[in-house]
Amino acid sequence: MRLVRRLMIAVAVVLCGVPLAFAGQAASDQARSRDALIIWHRLVLELVRHTATYSPPVASRAFAYLGVTAFEALATGSDGLHSLAGQLNGLTPVPARETGQAYDSAVVVQAAMAHAAANLFGNTGPTGQRALKAMARKAGTEAATGVPEDVVRRSEDHGRAVAEHILAWAATDGGAVIENMGFPLEYKLTDGPAHWVPTNLIRQQQVPLLPDWGRTRSFAMPDGAACGLPPPPAYSEAANSQFYREALEVRDTVNNLTDEQRAIARFWSDDPMLSPTPPGHWISIAIDALEKEDADLPTSAETLARLGVTLADAFIGCWHSKFEHDLVRPLTYIRRVIDPKWEAILNTPPFPEYPSGHSTQSGAAATVLTAIFGPSYSFQDGTHEADGLPVRSYPSFWAAAEEAGISRLYGGIHFRSAIERGLDQGRCIGAYANALRTRN
Amino acid sequence: MRLPGTFLVVVLALGCAAAQAFEVSVPRYVEETATSGIEHSYTGEWEFMVGGGVATFDCDGDRMPDMLLSGGTSAAKFYRNTSTAGGALAFVAETSGLELDMVSGAYPLDVDSDGATDLVLLRVGENVVMRGLGGCRFERANEAIGFDGGDAWSTALAATWERGAQFPTIAIGNYIDRTQDAFPWGSCTDNWLHRPVAQEHRFAPPLPLKPSFCALSMLFTDWNRSGTPSLRVSNDREYYKGGQEQLWRVEAGQPPSLYGPADGWKPLKIWGMGIASGDLDGDGYPEYFLTSMADNKLQTLAAKPEAGAPKASFADVAFARGVTAHRPYTGGEVKPSTAWHAQFEDVNNDGLADLFVAKGNVSDMPDFAMKDPNNLLLQKPDGTFEEAGEAAGVASFETGRGAALADFNLDGRVDLVVVNRNGKAQIWRNDDAGPGNWIGFEVRQPAPNVDAVGAWVEVRCGGHTTRREVTVGGGHAGGQHGWIHFGLGAEPKAEVRVLWPDGSQGDWQPVEAGRFYTLIRGEQPRGWKPYRKG
Repeated sequence: MRLVRRLMIAVAVVLCGVPLAFAGQAASDQARSRDALIIWHRLVLELVRHTATYSPPVASRAFAYLGVTAFEALATGSDGLHSLAGQLNGLTPVPARETGQAYDSAVVVQAAMAHAAANLFGNTGPTGQRALKAMARKAGTEAATGVPEDVVRRSEDHGRAVAEHILAWAATDGGAVIENMGFPLEYKLTDGPAHWVPTNLIRQQQVPLLPDWGRTRSFAMPDGAACGLPPPPAYSEAANSQFYREALEVRDTVNNLTDEQRAIARFWSDDPMLSPTPPGHWISIAIDALEKEDADLPTSAETLARLGVTLADAFIGCWHSKFEHDLVRPLTYIRRVIDPKWEAILNTPPFPEYPSGHSTQSGAAATVLTAIFGPSYSFQDGTHEADGLPVRSYPSFWAAAEEAGISRLYGGIHFRSAIERGLDQGRCIGAYANALRTRN
Repeated sequence: MRLPGTFLVVVLALGCAAAQAFEVSVPRYVEETATSGIEHSYTGEWEFMVGGGVATFDCDGDRMPDMLLSGGTSAAKFYRNTSTAGGALAFVAETSGLELDMVSGAYPLDVDSDGATDLVLLRVGENVVMRGLGGCRFERANEAIGFDGGDAWSTALAATWERGAQFPTIAIGNYIDRTQDAFPWGSCTDNWLHRPVAQEHRFAPPLPLKPSFCALSMLFTDWNRSGTPSLRVSNDREYYKGGQEQLWRVEAGQPPSLYGPADGWKPLKIWGMGIASGDLDGDGYPEYFLTSMADNKLQTLAAKPEAGAPKASFADVAFARGVTAHRPYTGGEVKPSTAWHAQFEDVNNDGLADLFVAKGNVSDMPDFAMKDPNNLLLQKPDGTFEEAGEAAGVASFETGRGAALADFNLDGRVDLVVVNRNGKAQIWRNDDAGPGNWIGFEVRQPAPNVDAVGAWVEVRCGGHTTRREVTVGGGHAGGQHGWIHFGLGAEPKAEVRVLWPDGSQGDWQPVEAGRFYTLIRGEQPRGWKPYRKG
C-alpha cells in the first residue's frame, strides 16, 4: 500500500474518531501507544520531504530525536524498558512520572511526539503547520478517548515534559540551526584536482552542504571520527591507476545500464525535497516491518530509537570522513579525464564523494534492523509507490543495503570504493546502536 | 559609479539590438501608489498563499491599460486608467461586474472575437468567463458559451487558437485538492483543457490533462517554431508525487500528449510558480524563465540543429546569465528567495529585454527570506543580467505575488504594478530619462482570434531583429493585453512585420520610433497617438 495513502488513511481514521489500532475493537494500551508512535513517524516522513532545511543529515537527526523522545516517554512508565540516559552522549535522565499517580502511555507518547515534532519542524511551511496541528488535535483526542480527564492532563503534561527535556538536549548538539538550507555563505574549496568542486549550475550549491556536520555531537558512537575510514584510492589520472579504473567502471556502467540497474538507481535516489530522503527510506522500511509483524510496543519503540540513532550517527560519521578526504565526484573526474560529454543519470549531490552517504547509513540501518528482525528477514519496500516507482523485494536488510550502495554507482555519483567502504563504515556505526541497552 | 537614468557609455551607434550601442542603463521608477488611486490588498490564508494575479487590458477604448486586481477573500477590484499621456499614474475604482470574491487570478482574452476584451477569472471555486460589453462593463458568460467553471483551486491559465477553430482553447491549471487541507500532499487535481466544439462559438466539456502536478503557471508557446504552440506547465513540487515540469503537444483534432524522454525532454522538478518567455539571444526560439524558490531557471534549447526540428531538450543558463535571483540582494537577509510573477520587458529601451521578478515569502516560512525584494534584472550587451531593483527603486519588501509591466501612461516607458499578499498593491511609474527610443504595436486580424494570439512581431533595425510572441498565459496568475513594447536604443526608425498565427508572413513595413502603431493584417501600419494628454 502506498505510503501516502496509508498515512492519509491513518489520518482519516483519526479524523473520523475511529480507534487507530483495531477499528471496531477496543484497542489495548500498548497498541494505542504503538499506533501513536508510528503515525507520528509517518507524518514526519512527509514533513521531511516538505521542509527545505531537511537534507538527509538533518532528517536523520530529527528521526533520532523523535525515536528517543518516544522511547524515553514510554520508558518512564515501563518496568521493561531501560532508559538511554547516560548511554547517549549528553542525555541526562528525563523527568520521572509521579509515584502513585495513574498515566496513560498512549496519551503520554502522543503528547511527547506532538510536542517534539512541532518543535523540530517549527520551520516547515504553512501546509506542514496545518498538518501538524490537525494531527495533534485529532490524534490527541483519539488517544484520550475513554481515559479519565485527570489522567489525560497528567499524561499530556508528562509527555510534553519528556519532549522538552529531549529538545533541550538536542539544542546543544551543534546541528540545531540550519541556515540557507545548509549551504554556508562562505567556503574555500580545497585546491587540487583530487578535491571536490561544484558539479551543477545551481547558484546555492557552489559550496558544499553542511561542511561542519561531522563535528556535531554523535548519539551512540563516541564522535564523528569513531568509525573513520582509510583514504580512498590515491588520486591519479593514469590509465593504469585504481582511481582511473574505478572512474572508468562508473562511466562504462552508466553508459550501458540495464533496465534493472536503472530502476535500482532511481529507487534509491531518495532526493531531498522529492522523497523522505535516504534515512526516511529506512524509517519507512522499519515501520512496514513493525506493522507486518504486529510488533509489540517495546520492540516498536526500541526499533525506531535504535534506527534513528544509528542513521544520525551514520551521517555524522560519513560527513566527518567526507570532509576529511574531500574527494572529487565521478562527474567532475570523468568529464575532465575521460569523456567531456559524459552524463550521470542521477543529480550529483553537492558535497564530496568519499564515502557514499547512502552506503554508510544503509549499512548502519541494516546492522540495526538485522539485529532486531534477523539476518534472513525478507520484505517488500513500497516507499516510493506514490511517486510511481514499483515495489521492490529483498531477502534481507543487508541485501537492500548493498543494493542501495551499488545504486550510487549505477547512478554515476559514486566510485566503488566509496560504496564498499561506506557499507563497512555503516557496520561499525550500527554496532554502537546495537550495543545500547534498551531492556531491563 | 552608475547613475539611474544615465548611460555609462553612450555610443549612439547602430541598431536597436543595442549589443553594440549601449552599456546598461538603470531606469528610474517612482512609486505612485499613494497618489495613483490604487488601494487594494490580496487577502486570505492557506487557499490564497498562491495567486494574486493582475490583469491589464483596455476596456474603454482609450488604449490605456485598465486593470483588475485579484482579491482572494476580498472582492477583486477593477480600476479604470485615467492617466494622461506622460503624466502621473491615475486610476479610479469602478464597478465593472468583475468584483467577484475568491479570485486568485485573471487573464484578458477576447474569447468571442468581438473586439471587446473578455476576462477569465481564476478562482478558488468556480472559474468564470466575464464577457466584455464595452465601457468597462462585464457580464458572466459561462452558460452562454458552455464554459464549465468547475470547483477547483485554480491557479494558472493559457490560451491559444487551434487551427481552424472559431473559439480559443483554454488550459486551466488547478492546484491542491482543497478538501484535503490537513494532508494535501499528493492531492493535485486535474488541469483542464477547454476546447471549442468544432466550428462553433462555445466550449466542449473540459478534457482533464492527466497527469496533473499542481500547476502554478501555464503558457502556450511555439517553442520549436513549428507553427503550433505547445503547452508548457510549471508545477509546484511541494505538492505533487512523481511529478515534474511538463510540455504538452496540443495539435488540432488530436488528444494532447506529453513530450517525454524520446522527444529529448528531461525531467525538471522545481517549485514552479511562474513562466516568462522571450527570445533573448535572437535565434528565433524563445527562452523561458521559470520562477521557483532559491535558484530560478532560465532555459534555452540545448541544441539548435541547422536543419530539422529541435528536440525538446532545454539547458539551464540562469547561472551563466546571472538570473538565478536565488537570494535577496538587499535588506540583510541571506536566506533563499521565493519568486512568483516574472516578465520580460525592455524597461530601459536599450533594445535588450530585461526581467522583472516579484518576490515574497509563501507564508511564515522561516527558512526563506521574509524581506525578499523584487528583482529588476537588466540585460547587458553580453547577454548577462545585472540586478538593479534597488537602484531603480522597485525593491519592495512587501510579500509580492502577481505583477504586470505595462505602459500605463503611454509615454513609451514600461511601468509596473505588483499585487502583494495581505498587503497593499504597489504601482510605479517609469520615469527613465535615458535616451533610448521605443515603439509600441497592437496586432489585429479578422475574426476569429482578432488579437492574433500565436503571432510573432518582429522588429528590424541596424542589422538586428528582435521579436516577441503574442501569447496568453504565463506569469503568475495574471496576464497583459495591450501594446507590445520594443526598445530601439538610439535608432530613430525601424521595420516591422508580423508572422501571423496561420503561418503567413506580413511584409516588412517602415515605422518610426516614439510612436504607437496598429498592425492590421494586409494593411499598412496605422500610427496612433494618445488623445488624453496632460
